[in-house]
Amino acid sequence: MNIEIREQAPFSVVTLGGDVDMHSSRQVRQQLLDCLARKQPLLVDLAAVTYMDSSGVASLVESFQVARKQGSEFALASVARPVMAVLKLARLDTVFPIYTSVEERLARVD
Amino acid sequence: MSDRLSLTIESSAALPSDIGLLASIAQDFASSPEMGATLANAIHQIMTYMEAEAASIFLLDESGEKLTCVACAGPVKIDGLTLAAGQGIVGRTVSEHCLQRVRDVAADRDFSGAVDQLTGFCTRSILCAPLHIKGRMLGALEVINKASGDHLFGEADAQLLLALAGMVSLAVHNARMAEALVEQERMRRELDLAREIQRGLLPTPPDAGFPVCGVNLPALEVSGDFYDFFMLPDGRIAWGLGDVSGKGMNAALLMTKTIALFRCLGKNEHDPARLLAVLNDEIAETARFGMFVTMIAGVFDPASGELVWANAGHQPPLWRGADGGYRELEAAGVALGVLSGMAYDAQRLNLADGRLFVFTDGATEGHDEHGAMLGLPGLQTLLERHAGLPPEALLAAVTAALARPGVRLHDDLTLLAIGR
Repeated sequence: MNIEIREQAPFSVVTLGGDVDMHSSRQVRQQLLDCLARKQPLLVDLAAVTYMDSSGVASLVESFQVARKQGSEFALASVARPVMAVLKLARLDTVFPIYTSVEERLARVD
Repeated sequence: MSDRLSLTIESSAALPSDIGLLASIAQDFASSPEMGATLANAIHQIMTYMEAEAASIFLLDESGEKLTCVACAGPVKIDGLTLAAGQGIVGRTVSEHCLQRVRDVAADRDFSGAVDQLTGFCTRSILCAPLHIKGRMLGALEVINKASGDHLFGEADAQLLLALAGMVSLAVHNARMAEALVEQERMRRELDLAREIQRGLLPTPPDAGFPVCGVNLPALEVSGDFYDFFMLPDGRIAWGLGDVSGKGMNAALLMTKTIALFRCLGKNEHDPARLLAVLNDEIAETARFGMFVTMIAGVFDPASGELVWANAGHQPPLWRGADGGYRELEAAGVALGVLSGMAYDAQRLNLADGRLFVFTDGATEGHDEHGAMLGLPGLQTLLERHAGLPPEALLAAVTAALARPGVRLHDDLTLLAIGR
């Protein structure tokens, strides 16, 4: 698993790659929560994720819930097929804001 | 330790009595069930035999930052005294991992007079050996002020103290292992208890011929999956099956909450869609760490064959029609606990002579005898292979195929069958 964070005003863009599983999801969770603590809108780029288990999904759900509670934006972008399959099963694709790419969301910034 | 012991034997002139002391202390270590008393007894023997005025054993704490005196002998009691890991001659022994012989502490700048100031004792010379096991530092064993001869600890003393330190190290290590085992055993009993309590939450197997039955096999001691069913006053049967995200104790605790809520609220709310909406709000309010539950709840009327159900993000159940064909029933809402205020749609069908199978991913992600993941087609094949059996026997055959002897389940395995 690899994780990259970049600032692309006004967003923090977190790019995940590889397997997000029981071993790596703790780190993913911490990084996402750290970004949210700065109250910046957060975009998670999932294009390079090859596998995501329920602990990985839980870190996305928790971040989504925290963002909602504090009134900041949380969205997914470029969701890779294996991740989308997992999200669709639990119908999470109907609650997470999902963009085809980071650029698509950035283009909508006023 | 045996190397050091042989070194002692070669270099010590007072061989028979050294062996006597080592034998006596070894015997104590081997026979005593209580570490503290054994070390206290040993340190007195060591002090007396080595003709020192005082002796003590210091052990490192778990963080490796502090040294605490756990046993002492001599005119002043320093049990419980704590030093920083690098402090004084004891600290130097631990940080340098080797024996320290200080013939005149006044000339050693590492000597800390703090203990003497505190106790009024007057330290002149120190011999201090490290306690370690397999390269891991445990602490130090020290003797202070040789009371006889030239009042200095000699080479023979050093070799003997190293041999004694080896024995003390082993004794401390063994005692800690024993403590860890006791703790492990306690945890295991707690888990067994949790498992029993969880099993008690599942419905008792109904009489033969009852139209709903289920099976749950946890992959670990406790399960994040559950199923339940119970009779409603009008003769219909409420049923549910769910899977909590994640594994282990946190999933098991949320499972316990969900099944309790289902049974309690399901007795009054007979509309599965509304029931899931209430469960969702309850779980969303309190679930932590983004945990969620996928669940199907339904009501079956054995008199008419009418089946109503709603799905919260769970994998589609399989309907086997009377013609032997299988169909996935896909409609579903969001998993429970993600976001409050969700609505769910009730689905209906008449089961007639068919059966409905509801299951967790432990079933589809189970492996066949060739090690290949079953997937939905594999599960369907397995269900069809045993379709002639009554539902209880069918579920038993499917679980037996997935949880073969010697095969470790990767996930909890839960199945529910509705219809005869």
